[in-house]
Amino acid sequence: MKFQSQKIAYWFFASAMLLLVLQIVYGFIMGFARIGMDGLHEWIPFNTARAVHTNLLVVWLLLGFMGSAYFIIPEESDRELMWPKLAWVQLISFLIVGVVAVIGYHLNYWEGRKFLEIPRALDYLVVVNVLAFIANIGFTIWNGKRYTTTSIVLFFGLFTAALLYLPGMIDFDNQTLDSFYRWWVVHLWVEGVWELIMGALLCYLLIKLTGVDREVVEKWLYVIVGFTFLSGILGTGHHYYYIGAPKYWLMIGGIFSALEPLAFLGMAIYALAMAKKGGRRHPNKTALNWTLGSAIMSFVGAGFLGFAHTLPQVNMYTHGTLVTAMHGHMAFWGAYAMINLAMIAYALPILTGRKLWDNAASSYGFWLSNIGMVGMTGALAVAGITQVNLERRMGLDFLAVQTEIEIHFVGMILAACLFFLGICFYLYNFWRFGLPTDEAASSDVRAAEELPTVS
Amino acid sequence: MLTKLQAKVFFLGGTAVFFGIFLVLSFDTHLKVPNQTNAANITPAVAAGKRIWEENNCMGCHTLFGEGAYYAPELTKTVEIRGKDWLKVFLKDPEAMFPGQRKMVKYNFTEEQIDNTIAFLDWCGKVDLNGFPAKPPLRDKMMAAAPQMAVSSGPAPLKKPVPAVFTTGTCIGCHQIQGQGGAAGALIGAPPLDDVFRRYDRAKLEAWIKDPPSIKKDTKMPKLYGLAVNDAQLNEIVDYLLSLNPETAAATPSAVAPPAAPAPAVQPK
Repeated sequence: MKFQSQKIAYWFFASAMLLLVLQIVYGFIMGFARIGMDGLHEWIPFNTARAVHTNLLVVWLLLGFMGSAYFIIPEESDRELMWPKLAWVQLISFLIVGVVAVIGYHLNYWEGRKFLEIPRALDYLVVVNVLAFIANIGFTIWNGKRYTTTSIVLFFGLFTAALLYLPGMIDFDNQTLDSFYRWWVVHLWVEGVWELIMGALLCYLLIKLTGVDREVVEKWLYVIVGFTFLSGILGTGHHYYYIGAPKYWLMIGGIFSALEPLAFLGMAIYALAMAKKGGRRHPNKTALNWTLGSAIMSFVGAGFLGFAHTLPQVNMYTHGTLVTAMHGHMAFWGAYAMINLAMIAYALPILTGRKLWDNAASSYGFWLSNIGMVGMTGALAVAGITQVNLERRMGLDFLAVQTEIEIHFVGMILAACLFFLGICFYLYNFWRFGLPTDEAASSDVRAAEELPTVS
Repeated sequence: MLTKLQAKVFFLGGTAVFFGIFLVLSFDTHLKVPNQTNAANITPAVAAGKRIWEENNCMGCHTLFGEGAYYAPELTKTVEIRGKDWLKVFLKDPEAMFPGQRKMVKYNFTEEQIDNTIAFLDWCGKVDLNGFPAKPPLRDKMMAAAPQMAVSSGPAPLKKPVPAVFTTGTCIGCHQIQGQGGAAGALIGAPPLDDVFRRYDRAKLEAWIKDPPSIKKDTKMPKLYGLAVNDAQLNEIVDYLLSLNPETAAATPSAVAPPAAPAPAVQPK
């Protein structure tokens, strides 16, 4: 670690990990409810568990992105963070908002709009909080000694993510318009600007871990985020097929969302090509595994599985079924959870000055969690396809079909146990690194980390 | 070979062009949606229903327009399928309608809140969703392949107007009678009631309604006695069902409505 103010990143990462565990716990509550073990229904009904599960995901991913930004931006700009204390205030207040929201969900206090359940009063606090974050990062870049493409793309991604939160706060009495603008936030985040953030983090990690020349890595970053927006913006149309919006969205959404996998494919090829070009000489193999893993799993989960039900003819029957949950799990895991875990695996040795790069626990963490996630996605796929055929194509009753597919949730829970075990290994390693130290800035970890550039 | 500057121009230019197109289409959509969704029919009750829908996070289990969670049924067409009376009773105590099955929170809504919620769902069901939800394409093929239901012997049941108690008692939310209702029941094996007099006598019919599992242990029929049906209504239901028997009707013509009553217009399904 080069700058003292980068240390704040550790606390963002640690908070993120805590929320990840809580997210998994609520996932288990839902899994058990689906096989009839709903003893918690009185206190945690399904809609509460579901809102907590998805909102904690968003919050921990955002905390990860913020931590990553606080780690990367000082280094890329070659100066200390503008206001380190503001970063602390921002972290703590963000956590308080998150905790209040989660408690509120247990007391039937929410907004009840898929993924944006946070009650309106707290929405405003989120906006203030994110503005503080953007200002801190923005002024650090502005006053920095150098501007890099990586930091500009990262900032652009974070800034537009903040901006796009606003359309979700407009009130409508018309459910169709409500939904229409809600997707401006949700879709343009996860299939738009978050990919920009992911691309920038990927780019940073590839520069650091492979030693390939920055100019080359950053050039392809532009190409890939270019493809992301080219397909992803109009790809929003795949949410507008059947909600009461005009018919032309079927064609536009169909064509452009069918192109979306290309951006992810590009990202996977890009990461693998850079790793091959640079060789695997960096001692932190774990971080490289997570980085390449993220690029590949995001293509499979977001690109391939997303494509599987994005065409209007298919989506007519899969829309509103477990097929969506199947795609959602691996997409978020591959694209956003894994890139955060890669960033954390990369940053921890540098923040703490300990060389726990490669060990059995970190390998188990990587493989078990990924195998578990593949298993969960598989279970959801079988359940989802069966649901589509029985309910949507044959016309059987909803609850009768749910009984038929219950057994796949036993499989899902078993796979989730494997997944959780992997996460436990990852967290064990996280804990072994200990706290960030002031000496880390001058330790030999940094020396080992500097690779000769490959052009 | 592509230079970094060219790559940058591709990114910025592409983003600007496609975001521009997206904005134009969104503007057009914003103008067209009111017409496609019958926005003029969004009464204060519908708007209030939407707020109830949001404040209780119904989307956290159900889907509407196919959006939400996948734990509970899709509700876009629920008013059309179940009928308003069925929903009214259901919303008062959801678990009573589906005993021993997947649970729904009992919200203790007021009458007004229930009416608003139903008004909102009714409006939703009439929005033009470009064909969603599709009619199950394989259902007709399955029906054609399935062996025909055993036809009971004996003369056909009489045609008589269905009393209101079948609607308020939520019977036709599942059972078909005289060609009415039954949209949801066919899927879970709730039989049409026209010829039920052939299978059960008065005592059995009363027992069915008072405590369904006492007749059939694993039945999906809810216990509506005490919830939507009182003693007088129970008698009215049983009287009507038995009166459809042409034989007893002929034997005791004075006990029931005259069999010569004009047949009601049967709604073809």
